[in-house]
Order: sequence, then structure tokens, then C-alpha cells
Amino acid sequence: MVQLTRGTWAQAGTSLDFKTGNWRSTQRPVHVHAKAACHAACPAGEDQQAWFALLQEQKVQDAWVSLVHANPMPGVTGRVCPHPCETACNRTGVDGALAIHNVERWLGDEAVRLGWDYPVEPPAANAPTVAIVGAGPGGISAAYHCVRLGMKAEIFEALPEAGGLLRSAIPPTRLPRNALDGELNRILDLPGITLNTRQRLGRDLTIDGLRAQFAAVLLSPGCELPKHWSVKGAVPADLHEGLQLLRDFMDHGALPDAAKGDVIVHGGGNTAMDICRIMKRAGAKSVTLITASGLPGPGTAPDDIINVVPRELEEAQEEGIEIIDHATVSRLIMKGSRVTGVEIVSLKKEAGKDGRKRRVEFEGTERVVSVDMVVPCVGEQVEPEAFEGYLDGAYFWPDNPFGRIADRVFAIGDARGNRGTVAAAIGDGRLAAEAVAAELSGEADPFADERPVMELDGLNTAYYAGSSRARVAKLPVSERTFEAEIEGPISRSEALAEAQRCLSCGNCLACDNCWTMCPDNAVIKTTELAMDGSHYVFDYDYCKGCGLCVQECPTGYIQSVPETA
Amino acid sequence: MAPRSDTSKRLSELRMKHGRPPASPLEPKAEKAETLREAQPRFRGLESGHRACQGCGEALAARLVMESAGPDVMVANATGCLEVFSTPWPQSAWRVPWIHSLFENSAAVASGMEAAMKAKGKNTKVLSFGGDGGTYDIGFQALSGMLERHHNVLYVTYDNEAYMNTGIQRSSSTPHAATTTTSPAGKERMGKRHLKKDLLSIIAAHHIPYAASASVAYPADLQRKVRYAMGVEGPTFLVIHSPCPLGWRHDSALTVEVARRAVQCGLFPLVELERGALTNIMPIREPRPVADYLELQGRFAHLFRKDDYRAQEELDHLQALADHNIETYGLKGEGLDPMDSTGMSHVRRGGPLAGRS
Repeated sequence: MVQLTRGTWAQAGTSLDFKTGNWRSTQRPVHVHAKAACHAACPAGEDQQAWFALLQEQKVQDAWVSLVHANPMPGVTGRVCPHPCETACNRTGVDGALAIHNVERWLGDEAVRLGWDYPVEPPAANAPTVAIVGAGPGGISAAYHCVRLGMKAEIFEALPEAGGLLRSAIPPTRLPRNALDGELNRILDLPGITLNTRQRLGRDLTIDGLRAQFAAVLLSPGCELPKHWSVKGAVPADLHEGLQLLRDFMDHGALPDAAKGDVIVHGGGNTAMDICRIMKRAGAKSVTLITASGLPGPGTAPDDIINVVPRELEEAQEEGIEIIDHATVSRLIMKGSRVTGVEIVSLKKEAGKDGRKRRVEFEGTERVVSVDMVVPCVGEQVEPEAFEGYLDGAYFWPDNPFGRIADRVFAIGDARGNRGTVAAAIGDGRLAAEAVAAELSGEADPFADERPVMELDGLNTAYYAGSSRARVAKLPVSERTFEAEIEGPISRSEALAEAQRCLSCGNCLACDNCWTMCPDNAVIKTTELAMDGSHYVFDYDYCKGCGLCVQECPTGYIQSVPETA
Repeated sequence: MAPRSDTSKRLSELRMKHGRPPASPLEPKAEKAETLREAQPRFRGLESGHRACQGCGEALAARLVMESAGPDVMVANATGCLEVFSTPWPQSAWRVPWIHSLFENSAAVASGMEAAMKAKGKNTKVLSFGGDGGTYDIGFQALSGMLERHHNVLYVTYDNEAYMNTGIQRSSSTPHAATTTTSPAGKERMGKRHLKKDLLSIIAAHHIPYAASASVAYPADLQRKVRYAMGVEGPTFLVIHSPCPLGWRHDSALTVEVARRAVQCGLFPLVELERGALTNIMPIREPRPVADYLELQGRFAHLFRKDDYRAQEELDHLQALADHNIETYGLKGEGLDPMDSTGMSHVRRGGPLAGRS
């Protein structure tokens, strides 16, 4: 028999001896857990993506626990927050932002309904005690975070009840009192939190006294003093300032007689919006808001849009509030000391010589409107009494994110000049408590999260199916009262479905794309060894650096970085 | 216990060496701990360390085919990129029996391998691999013969639309108007003058049990087609659109994106044929203009020259070809289909859920 010569042959899989990893010349793929845009935008520091991920696994209580790690009052913020998270949501550029505030509110309500325990331990008997001035959202958040971090908190509140402006200035149509009390009382009942009501700084207490007695002092007095308002020096004799009017109305349910006629509200915040709607509902003939900002629309610059919760603006317009944007009151027309009309002039913020924007009134656009009442809502400042030596002008201006204004003294919430939302106050409370905890245990200040933010252009949207935002029922205009909540709740199934819409920006969602699409078999799937929150590791011995996985990663979790070493 | 035969000893040695699990409880487990690579929950038929270029579509396609076909397979491979980059002497990236003989005869070699398996009473499936050169042109008659003799072989052609291994020469699979070294765009011509050969129709004329086209942009669809073909007794045929960053002149990271756009514009229809009849297609949800696909590739750059009147004409020609495909195969989707060219990509976020519109 003829013996054939053997052909050339090689043993199976021996190409592994050849490390193609040294072909990489400039770039290598790495896992980067960038901040989701919602998380980056949240003044309270919530990681919405983290709790949505738990909701996707149907772990509802775990999602709430993850949420209250940053914000103990989701039921409140889900109702009153202007939700910058939704504005930032990358899904806005695909098919509409997630209904984050609706789901947040649902989680908060579920926790109250089912009595879920806050993730805190009772503080030790000898734990340091922190004094907190003011029981508004900032103070409550600070107290909660002090307990969460193993300290005790003693709150001093001037009014007979806790809640601050959540109780005194936000109408029940936005925040029903049972929703507020349900959440608030659960926090105040936590072991280690003591609430002292009717204790006013300056009358019953002093900052220096508190400093001597407590481990640290957190100031969250809010802003109680209306900013001075006049038009070229003229002030009506019967001036009612917006926030005061709102508080009076919430207290005893009545408005001045002039509010039955034509009313002009001058300002551009949520208080202005609330007072407009209350007066309209209380029977004002007409209510007109005059604001220097613009209405949201394609032609309006983002920093020029009126600073109110978008859905509040929508609802106000439904209810017949007229809005004159890009305008201001230029003259009061008085009969004696009473207002009978105002002159309105158009204006806009324009960049000046030095590039800074200033308001420019346009000559020739003046018009006169007859009115019965003008309500200024131009903001408030800190009541300076009792804060001498700590205030810088009208507000506190700490030079650090934790709010430290003196040794062991911190300022949080609206009393800081550049705040203005409940969520910001809650975030301030957390940061201050964390700084106090670090200081008392002799550590340096905690690190700020400086990870980069994942924007829409970092995602590969080919991998996401379209899905429209959950629609939530609203009370029709004809049925709106002073009490009933206007925005309806979201159901469990709707909330869980909404969670499925989360794009998981910047975070691995274990889709297997990198593992499936690597031509070089250089992505290894493992649950044990991937320590970075994903299920994959790169085998740099063989990765040629083609960048396919970077391109095809839906969430931007895989990024190219320059090859070093 | 009876002493093991020499064969079983040799087998267990081989298993130990390659980290395969023991075939029976009697066989010893591999002594060294499994490496992460060995522990992968998929069959690694085409292993790392091969010399394909960065972002190679063909390497990706072959890896995907081997994962769903293996491990009980043998491969006959025609000359071409795949053969060259996977077996640089004295190494091999394959972890199955694999034979290379010549450019033109992989189907013939596979026919012989299949006959040998049949004679030995074994069920090992034989795969035959070739590029578009080895299939559309050089190995075409061997392929036709194999199909006609009804061998139980799955023939896979990795279609990167030119002879890439030898330096990007045109093949009969090169699309119209693409520039290659032998069909350069210039004063005389706007790239290749002729049309891409409609191979699938020729294959269909053999009335074989199963023939399909697939794309590396849709790995789940590709692997389903391989698994289906593996279960068919008789000749089956698969053509896989495999972008070549070098020859098509696109960024190596864009391989899948380019392939996806080829499907979504209609220039590379994903279809399945049984006994010559069209049985399934992947619908296109929203057909994209062909320019979306072409603009990513340097081989079509001359179609975007503003100063050449022929550019628009050729763009329109390619658009007409894509529209013709959509018409002929009925590719236009109706509504949201999770199995269409858009839905097949989706990872499970925001997919259709009960109770949502």
C-alpha cells in the first residue's frame, strides 16, 4: 500500500501562544461607570439610575432603600420637585424622558403605606448630638442623615409644627398634608431625633449657646424676610407680598378684598405660580403673571426659561392664568396710595460689554393696564436677627460644598443664596451631615463625586426599543379645588414598566454585546472576577483595540482610553 | 475495572490538554484549574490569537458560526483571509478538525469528508467555509456539484465583497460602483461597472433544503440560522455579510454599524429559502437611504464628490438596486415587529410590555 506523505498540521487552539494584544497601538477599551445624567442633575444627590435598576428586578423595597440613602422624603420631592433629573434624562432625545417624579412619589407612598423601615440603626447612647436649627426639608434631611451616620440630632423649630415651607407655603393641591405628615412623622419618629418646637433662634437660643452645648450646629432657617420691592421708589400702601399672602391663605384661608378684581403678580418662581393659581381659584377676575424670563419653547435659551416646575406652568395656563413673559413693571399708577394700574415694559436679558447678562428695557413698548392689586413675588432673604457675624449680606455664602461657614457651623437650604428647591435643601442636609460625621471621627471632608457625566451622544441608541412615557391622569380644571391633589398617582405596573424604559446610561446592563461582538474572543464573561459592576473583563493579551465593543456598547459603559505603558 | 484501551487514554489526554469536560464520570478531570477562558459558557471553535485585522467582520462571523455549530463538527476551508489568519504555521486558532486544500475545492473536500464520515458511521457534521472569491467565483462549480450530489454539508460563505487577502481585487460579489484595486474609480469608471452576482438565486435553483443570508450586525439571527441549518439533513447554504475595515475603508470600530446599515437600507437583504422558495425575511422597519450605508465607507467615497455629475447618478443607481431588493423580497415592514431590522437589535430595555401602547 502506498504511504501518503503527511500534510502540515497544527494542534488545536495553539494560536493562543501568539498574543495579539501587542497590536494595540493607540486605544484600549475600559469599563467606565460614568454618572447618569439624571444623577448628575439631582440637587438631592439621588442616583435615579441605581434605584430604577432595582425596580427593573422588581425589587421595590430595595429601590426605596437605595433612594432614601440620599433623600429621605421621596413622597414629598416626587410632588414638589421641579425634577431637573427629567430635564437631563437622555431619553428626552429619544422618545421622552422617564416619568421619574411619578415613580419617586409612588415609592415614597408605598413606603408609608407598607411601613418600610428606614435603613438606620439607633445611635449609641454616647453618640455625639448635632443641633439643627429649622425643621424644613433641609433640617429634616440633616437630622435623618445624622442618625444614618450614627449621630443624634436635636432640631429646634420656631413654629409649632415641623415642615418649614413644605407646610407653610406649598399648597395642598401640590402636596397634600397627609402625604407630607406621613413621611415627615416617620422620620421624626426615628430613634435619635428630637424635635423642639416653638424655639426661635435669637429669642430662645443663640448660635454660640448651641455651639457650646452640641457637637455641631447646622443652620437651616430658610428665607423668611421678603426682599424689598418698589417700582422706582413707589410702594402701594396695601402691599401684600407673595409668600406672606400664601402663608396667610394657608393659615386661615382668606385673601384681601382687592384679590377679587384684576390682579398682577410680579415674579417668576414657584411661589408666584402658586399664588396666581390660588387667587384665580379664589375668584379673582383675572390673574396675570409678569416675568422677566421667557416661556419654554424652541426660541428660548435654557438659562432664560421661567424657573418653575414645568407641569405647574402647564396647569396654570390650563386654568387661565395669563403670562406676560420678557416684561417687567416699570411704573405704578396710584390713586392716592392705592394702585389702580401698572405700566408694563418689555425687556430681555442681553449680554453687555463685559459678557455678563443684564436686563435691557425696550423703550417704546410701554403699555398701561388697570389693576386692583399688585403682588410682588421677587424672592426672600434670611431674617438677619440672631445670625449676626454669620451672614454675608442677605444670605450665607459658604465656600465649600458642605456648607461650612465657621468651625462646626454649617448653613444649608434656601438660606444659602444660590439654592431654591426642596431637593437642594435635602442635598445640603446630607452633605453637611456627612462632613460633620467625618470631622467628628477625625477624617478629612468626604470626596465629591467627580465622575464624568454620560450624555446622549455616548450611547448607542440602536439597541433601545421605543417606548412612550407613562401618562398620569390630572384633575380636570373644573374639578380643581384648594385641597384636592391635581396630579394623580401612578400604578405599580405603570411604575415597573416605566423603570424598564431606563437606558442605564453609563452603567453596564449585561446585554452581552461586547462578549458577542468581539472578533478576537477577547471579552471574557465572568460573574466572579469582574469587580467593576459588570459581568465582563477584557483579555488585553488578545484585544487588538479595534473599538467595536466601544461602538456597540448601548450604555457607553465601555470607553476608549489612550494606550499607556 | 477493565484496563482502558489506548484510544480512551489518548482521548482523556487530549481532553485534559484542551480543558474539555470529561465525557464520563470514569474519566479523570483536568488536573489544573479551569482558566477563565476555558470556563466561558460557549464553545470557542475559533480561538484568540488569530491574525485577523482589527475589527474583522469575517473573524466575527466565523466565531459566531463556530459557537453555534460546534463542537461536533469538521471544517473544510477554502484559501482566503479566513484560512490565512486562522492558521499561521505552526499554530492554529481552530479547536475542531480543520482541513485546507486549495482555493477552488473546499466544497469538494467537504463532500469527501462527509462521505468518509458516512462510511465510518459517524454523525459529525461537515462545514465548508469560503470567502466570496472562493464561493462566487473560484469554487463555484465545486459548490454546485456538492449541492447537486446532496451532501450533508453546511456551506458558509463569508462575503466581504472582494479578494481582500490578495489586496482588494474585485470579485463577482463586489457591489456595483465600489472601488477596488482592479475596479478603481476614476476618469473612466465610477468603481466596479458590473453588478453584484445574485448568488442566492443560483443556490435556490439547486432546490436544496435550506439557504439563507445573515449579517454580523444581527448575531442572534445569524446563530439561529446556523442552528437551523445544523439540524437539516442534506446540503445547506449560508451567506454572511462580513464588513472588511481594510478593503471597505471604514473605521475598525464601525464594522457592526456598517453591516447594520447595509441591512437597513435594503442592499443586503436577510432572507431564508427552503427548496428554492422564499420562506422568511427580516422586515425593514424604516428603510434608510443607501447613502447612510455608503457614506461610512472609503470604497464609495467617489459617490459623494460634488464636482462629478456621475456621482449622483451612481448613488441613485444603488438606491434603485436597494429599492428593487425591498420590492422583490417584500422587505418593507409593517409596524413594530420585534423580529425586524430594528427590533432584532434591541437589548431588553423599554421593549414591548403588556399593558403599554
